[in-house]
Parts: sequence; structure tokens; C-alpha cells
Amino acid sequence: MTQVLSQFTFNRDEPMLFTSGLFWVLFLVFLPIYAHLKSRRVKMMTFVIAFSLFFFYKSSGWFFLLLVATSFIDWWVAQFIDSSKNRTERRVALTVSLLLSLSVLLFFKYSNFVMSNLEALIGGNFQPLDLILPVGISFYTFRTISYVVDVYKGKIQPVDDYIDYLFFLSYFPCLVAGPIVRACDFMPQLRDNKPATREMIYGGLWLVMLGVLKKAVFADYIAQYNNIAFGNPTGYTGFELLMAVLGYTMQIYCDFSGYSDMAIGLGSIMGFNLGVNFNYPYRSLNVTEFWRRWHITLSSWLRDYVYIPLGGNRKGKARQHFNLMVTMLLGGLWHGAAWTFVVWGAGHGIALCVHKLCKPWLDQIESTRLTRAVSWLMTFSLVALLWVFFRASTFQAAGQVISGIFTDFEWAYLPVFLKRRSTWCIMLAIIYGLHFVPSHVWDKLRERFIAAHWVVKLLLFIVLVQLVLQFASATVQPFLYSQF
Amino acid sequence: MNKPYWGLWSLLLVALVFFAAMSLLPDGIRIGGLEIKTPALGENIGQLVTDSVHRQGDTLDAQGRLPNGRHPKGWRAPVDTTAKTILFIGDSMLEGLAPRLAAYCDKSGHKLIEVIWYSSSTLCWAETARLTELIKTYHPNYIMVCLGANELYVPDIKRARRPHVKKMLAEIGDIPYLWIGPPNWDEDTGINDLLAQEVDEGCFYLSAKDHFDRSRDGAHPTRASAQQWMDRVIKWMSTTAAYPIKLNPPSQLTSRAARIVIYQPPV
Repeated sequence: MTQVLSQFTFNRDEPMLFTSGLFWVLFLVFLPIYAHLKSRRVKMMTFVIAFSLFFFYKSSGWFFLLLVATSFIDWWVAQFIDSSKNRTERRVALTVSLLLSLSVLLFFKYSNFVMSNLEALIGGNFQPLDLILPVGISFYTFRTISYVVDVYKGKIQPVDDYIDYLFFLSYFPCLVAGPIVRACDFMPQLRDNKPATREMIYGGLWLVMLGVLKKAVFADYIAQYNNIAFGNPTGYTGFELLMAVLGYTMQIYCDFSGYSDMAIGLGSIMGFNLGVNFNYPYRSLNVTEFWRRWHITLSSWLRDYVYIPLGGNRKGKARQHFNLMVTMLLGGLWHGAAWTFVVWGAGHGIALCVHKLCKPWLDQIESTRLTRAVSWLMTFSLVALLWVFFRASTFQAAGQVISGIFTDFEWAYLPVFLKRRSTWCIMLAIIYGLHFVPSHVWDKLRERFIAAHWVVKLLLFIVLVQLVLQFASATVQPFLYSQF
Repeated sequence: MNKPYWGLWSLLLVALVFFAAMSLLPDGIRIGGLEIKTPALGENIGQLVTDSVHRQGDTLDAQGRLPNGRHPKGWRAPVDTTAKTILFIGDSMLEGLAPRLAAYCDKSGHKLIEVIWYSSSTLCWAETARLTELIKTYHPNYIMVCLGANELYVPDIKRARRPHVKKMLAEIGDIPYLWIGPPNWDEDTGINDLLAQEVDEGCFYLSAKDHFDRSRDGAHPTRASAQQWMDRVIKWMSTTAAYPIKLNPPSQLTSRAARIVIYQPPV
């Protein structure tokens, strides 16, 4: 009995994610109750909030209270800002809210990073703090900041009822890994509380299934080899490292976008449109386009709440490039508390500046198949190269991967690699192939899935779960012995 | 509940029932050469029942084992001072460990049989009868295993490899043994946790916590570091292992096992 109950209590090592079996068993219980309560708005919201807070508790323990406290403070601050006619008061309230939200985020996410850097600079006996990073804190902090700022700027009206705001901020599909849905898009849907249509429900299931395929089959399987190679780059040749970089480039896309698809799909099943978060980013022909397609809700958040407030492109070219760099550096740091993430952000910042500088000249080049191919190759290579810094645990490891590719590369390893890691290679080829299937084909498939008979949907669902089971325990060839 | 919700809910429910039923199949399913994997629902429920039954009466048998077949925490056999035939099996890590152990064996009157299967894993060993054959051939009365380095990154490893670890332990049977964990050069996905759970109390040495100087490949300890690793294992055996044996400090750094068997990497 104790062991059964332990499944429902917080376990630091086993956060509840959309790919876990427990979530789907609970969702099976959740769904009929939600459907029953859907038309009764307050009851439905109370039920979903309870489920969301349990979801957060299962992943982050008692830190779910932090979310409750944050939501209450920011709801109250937004009310105050809206009711106050005094500009100074409004500004102070906004500053307090921002400081509170950011200080909590900074404390949990960056304390050890800051302290270790201080130690390196001034010396001392640094002991890392044993901090649990509440799951999704970066996401809900950005969502609550955007709400308070939008109310301050008069873009949206504050939410009257606290329960509405708690529903928005704790909404479990967006809690762990986004998308960073904004109140201006979400609250009208909550107010209207329209019933979910058949298209939304089965379109949502389609998205969830695509997300599971990307995350639990593709990303998790190809991650094995990438982990092996990035974990020990000196043990691998340039060719093997290049394959690991190509693998990681797709792994991170399948991982991030897969989880987003699941979240958006669950939202759709519940009758909410959470937008689009990834739009085939590796089809981009330049880095600016890449950031319009990659993690769209994050990049638009950074644009609206960092880049534009800094001055955007309104204060001259030099200031625009400075603003871009600051935005991308912060974007890098948001992904993780390490200098490697900062370098990743800086790399993208520089690339964006260079693209902006060259744009007048680039626009004069005629768009042909060849120029598009060259543009794509350059963009893809740059993005893939910068992922090395995102993935590598240290600069030394990143340097070893990059130098290995450029100094120890031999095509002779290709046949051996294909033979020893054939499943991995086939899977990677499939993922790249699927990424370039035209969007209208995907739309058509989605429509056909929605229209398909229930039995067909069931069979596809079972096939997908079986694929997850097959690949969950399938292993990539480990490192081969190399002589002492 | 409206019709589409009812349809979705029943779809999820039927799928759950289907996979729950699959998980109860005792022998799994094979189509052609392909094994159809089943979820661990039945296995998990079985484990819950077994654990709760075992907790009802924790009495020790003649070998000092609990009803679940494991020794209680802190249990130790008296130090065995008789000469042993030690079978030492594992992956390429043995290249560094075995010569140092051989020096201890020379000094203590034990016979060491060293079996290196390059790039091997618990999967390889469990899916062949190689360990049983080796036991039949050499009749060891002490077994040492060093495996896990090729399984640092296996996903869902506790589910994927638990049966294989269990099978290896079943093959070892009542022979006193020690399992030396992999010398992690990176965080693992759970191989050390799995070994700590399955291997008997006092029979698992967690190498992951140790510091190693690495050879050029970044994974294997250098020869000197591997020798220090073996020294640490032997020191741990003298104070903590469930089955301590006499291992006197050698005067020479390394030696050669009485017999060395080498297997090529699995295809």
C-alpha cells in the first residue's frame, strides 16, 4: 500500500512528464471528469487547478506553493496597477512584481552558477547549495511577467477573479516546458469556455501522438549515441563526432518540439488553442528565419519583453546590434546556468547581427535553387555547430568535438559506422526526411486522422505505444574497445 | 460527456487494457525474429506483492539470507582464508584490473581465471550461456564481475536490463561473488542504481564515486589508475564485502592470471 501511495508523492528523480505511464493513467481518470464539468466553468476550473497543482507537486514537491504565491501576488499587483491612477505607484508596483518574480527564478536557477563564478574570481570555500529547481519555473515566470507588463502597458485588462489567473498560470499542459502562452491569448478562451469540437479533440490527439513519436521514440533513441560521443569526445573520430552533432541537432528539435506538441495537443483536447511553437526550423534559409520558426513563444517573448523595451531597431544600427546581443545572451542564459549556454546565445546573437548587416546585399541576390540551397546549408551548419556548445558539458568538451571534426575526419569510417549503428542511421535519416515533408502533406494527414474511423485511430495509437516500448529498451552499439 | 470525448476516453481505455493484458503474458511474444516488448505493468504489480509478502516475516535462512533471497544490510560472512579459484569476468576494464588482482592472488595462493569479453554488457552475458559454461569448466569458488561500462547510456535501463542482471546472478547461484561497478566518466542512466538494487548486500562495489585518471580514450582508467582502483576494491572487501577472502598485499605491482580467456566484441 505504501509503495502504491509512493507513486503519488513527490520523487525528485521521477518527475511526472507527459511521456510517463502514470500521467496517462491519471489522464484517463481526469478526462471524463473534465468533460463532465466542462460546461460548468467554476467547477471545471477548480478541478483543473487541483489536477495541475498535483501535477506540479509530483514534479517539484512543495514548491507548488511557490506557484500559488507567485500567481496571487501578480494577480493582486495587476489589479493594483489597473486601479491606480498614480504613475509612480504603478511603476513601483510593476518593479516590485518583476523583482519578486526574477529574484525567485535567479535564486533557484542561478545561485550556484553565480557563487561558483564569484569563487573563481575572488577565491573562497564555495559549497554548492542543494537546491531543487522547481520544474517549469522559467516558463511560468515568463508567463506571469508578460501578464503584469501587459496590464501595466494597458494592452490587456487584468483578470477579475484570482481563480482565473491561477488556472492560467498553473495550467498543466504548459507548466513543465511551455509553450509560453500569454494571458492575452489564453484568457479570452477561458472566459468563453467554448466546448471542444471533434476537430480539436482528435486534432489534439494527433498532435500528442506526433509529440510522443518525436520525444519518446526519435529523440530518446538517437540521444543514446549522442550521449556516448559527447560524454567522451576524445574516444571518437571526427566522422563519429560529426554524426553525433547531426544527431544532436535533430535530437534537441524532436525533444523540445515533441514536448511542445504534446502540450499543445493536450490543450486542444481540453478545448484551448495554445498556438504553434515550432515551425520546421531546420528549413530556414537564414538565422533570422530560424528564430521565427524555433521555439516561437520564447523568441517572441524575448522580442516583446527584452529586445523592444531595450529600443529594438528604433535607435540606430549600433544600438540595434547591441540590443540583439543582449537579448540573445539572456536567451542563452535562460536555457541553463552555464557559460556554454551564454556562448551559444552569443553565437546566435552575432549571427543575427551579421545577417542584419548583410541583408541589403543578400536581398539583391537572385533567389534560385542553388542560392537557396547554399543559404540553407550555411544556416543549418551554423545552427548545428552552435548546438555543440549547448550540449557539451564544458568548453573543453565542446572544443574536443569541434577540433575532432576538423582535424580527425575520414570518410573511411562511414561504412563501418553504417554497419555498426544501422538502426541509428536509418532513424536519423527518417527524422531528417520527415522534417522536409511539405507542410500541406502534414495538414492533410492530420485531417485524415481526424476523419478516420475510431478503430483506425485506436490501431495507430497502439502501434505508437508499441514503438515507444520497442525503442525504449533498444540500445545503440556502445563504445568499442580502444587500446590503452 | 460528449461523443468525441467519449470516443477519446474509450480509445485510451482500450489501449490501456490491451497493454495491461500484454504485460501479463508470461513468455512475451515473438513475431519472426522480432521480440514484441511488453510494458512492465504486471512485473511492477508482482514486485509490489512479493515485497509486501516478504516484509511479513524477516527471518534468515542457513546462508544468512532473507526470504527474498538477499542478505540483510550489514551481513558479512567470516573471512575465508582458504585458497580460492577466482573467476574474474567482464569487459575491457579487466585489462587494467586483472593484472593487479593477479598479483594479490599470487601472494595469497589463489588461482585467477581472467575472462575478458570486449565491449560486453549484462545483455550479452545473459543472452548466452557463457557464464554457466565458464563455471562448469573452471569450477570457481569465488566470482568477480566487472560490467556496466558499456551500459552507461542505456535508456530505461532498470526495466531493460534488470532481467539480464537477475539471470547472471542466478547463474552465479550460491558461489560467493563481488560485482565491481563501472568507472563512470559521465553520468549514467541508472546502471549503478540497478546493480545496487539487484546485487546482494555487500557484493556490489560502487566505482562511480571514485576518481580515475583516464587513458587517451577518456573512458578507461590508465594502467596506474586501474591498479589503484583494484586496491580500493580489495580494501573495501576487507572491511565491507559480504564474502571477504584473504588477499595479502603483493610485493610486485602486477602479475599474470593463471589463465586468460579473451572473447571478441559482440556483433
